Amino acid sequence: MRESLYRPMSAQTEAPLCSVPVTRITTTHKRLDHRFTIHITSPQNVHTTHHTPIYVLLQYIQVLKYKIFDLYRQWRENNERRSEDIINTYLQHSIDENALQKLGTEKYVIIEQIIYAALDCHYYSLAKMWTLKLNDEFPNSLRVLRYRVLCLEAEGQYKKARSELENITTIDRTQAPACKRFVTIYKAMGLIPEAIKELVFYLKQFISDVEAWQELCEMYLVIQEYSKAVFCAEEQILHSPHHHLLHQRLADIRYTMGGVENMELAKTYYCQALKLNPDNMRALLGLFLVTNNLLGQYKSSGSTKRKEIWKLSQWVQSEISKRQKKAKTPASVPTLTNLMLTLAITE
Amino acid sequence: MGEVTLDTVAYAKIMLHAASYPHCAVTGVLLADGSKIRDGAKSQDLDIVDAIPLFHHSHYLSPMAEVAMTQVDALAQANNRVIAGYYAACENFRDNTVEKCPGQKIAEKIVEFFPSAVFVVVDNKKFRHHLSNPAIKLHNYSEGKWKVMDDNKVLFQTPYVLETVSLLLHKGVQKDLVDFDNYLDDISQDWTNLGIEKLIASINASNSIDFKND
Repeated sequence: MRESLYRPMSAQTEAPLCSVPVTRITTTHKRLDHRFTIHITSPQNVHTTHHTPIYVLLQYIQVLKYKIFDLYRQWRENNERRSEDIINTYLQHSIDENALQKLGTEKYVIIEQIIYAALDCHYYSLAKMWTLKLNDEFPNSLRVLRYRVLCLEAEGQYKKARSELENITTIDRTQAPACKRFVTIYKAMGLIPEAIKELVFYLKQFISDVEAWQELCEMYLVIQEYSKAVFCAEEQILHSPHHHLLHQRLADIRYTMGGVENMELAKTYYCQALKLNPDNMRALLGLFLVTNNLLGQYKSSGSTKRKEIWKLSQWVQSEISKRQKKAKTPASVPTLTNLMLTLAITE
Repeated sequence: MGEVTLDTVAYAKIMLHAASYPHCAVTGVLLADGSKIRDGAKSQDLDIVDAIPLFHHSHYLSPMAEVAMTQVDALAQANNRVIAGYYAACENFRDNTVEKCPGQKIAEKIVEFFPSAVFVVVDNKKFRHHLSNPAIKLHNYSEGKWKVMDDNKVLFQTPYVLETVSLLLHKGVQKDLVDFDNYLDDISQDWTNLGIEKLIASINASNSIDFKND
């Protein structure tokens, strides 16, 4: 029992851990339920014997905690959510207020990160505990109020969450994150058309929110409103015209819609995506499918259109085989060359 | 309607895929052993031997789905297997019905070619690190609709499937799972997940030794 060495210590110093419940309820997004397990610093990394004085261990744990905050910062800056990792390290290193105190103002962003992670992983009381602590410090903050709404949402109390949100938006109409919560509530309830209505309303006020356009695009795809999804995708391209994934995505939608006109457009957008990033495999494969489809459409073999598509098709196939050769895919995986053989149209 | 046997590998891949993208809807297809399929039999017994994890985003777009299905078909033919089903987990935590799953069109297409196909839906609420029940629901297609199958018609290959998959989840094996979306990002990756298959085979082997000793 190597861990037994640490346990009594954690019980003394890290009181807040006890408030984490053993049983979990349910929440909006995270599927996996975490059972409550305490691992105080992975034992194999700490070379401890029974002779190690206890204060050395304590210092070691302190150092580790700061490493953890560096890690959190890194994830935050890279826009990675990493909820599971955050919660695991949080519990492993039993982070409490004392540890956060020395961080200055960064403390609050870290608490925010912990709240989000806790909600994702069904640790409701943990999220509530930190929200309450923030509330004590900033009693009138709308941002803290928003965390409370998040907790309500996670527990499925949508009505209460909505009325709280309405309070926020009446105080400050420019609170974009709060306005977006209305959309997520509808989405969580499975009411996609209502969510779309709400998001359209939001975009009328905050027209330059690219992520909102992307979300709207995805929701239109769910209800198969492809032409509206195209509009949203075009809007995103206007915001960042040099992003290859956006071009590829628009092409994907055009291909899904079908028909000669859409295929021609899909071809153009796939080509643009490849121009911006020649390594976009989805665009290469998409272009291959498009050329196949168009070759089937333009039957008269002499026409210039068909010749053009034929040339493009040959080029795409050679590009794909080049990349297939470069990549060391295991032998069990069917090759893309094989795919082209099954699908390709021969003259 | 016949019985459906789920191999540990197939079940593990479904669960690992759902666990590796807990915030997304995930989809994939199921492969059955071709040698046990009788043509045109109404009460077909199915032996689902493998699952191919396909997508975790862009579910509603067709081009990459076409590529994936062609490739899976090639793989199935090479190993004498049949595409015999579809699995999905919903994005929304509380949804666990077929209607809310993405890619129903693909599932219907599979049924067209293979009438006794099954549709597996992951039950998000029952899914936890230590699985106490399978957390999946099987459906079969009858009269134009997916209907939930009786639990006693679904068999597992071994008695310790849940323990095996819980162990994999605990060890974080879901991070190593490769789906078709990952493959399209980097085509040197192996979407057949041979490594995980080998790992499960070794766990199964040691389990069966323990089982004999008991």
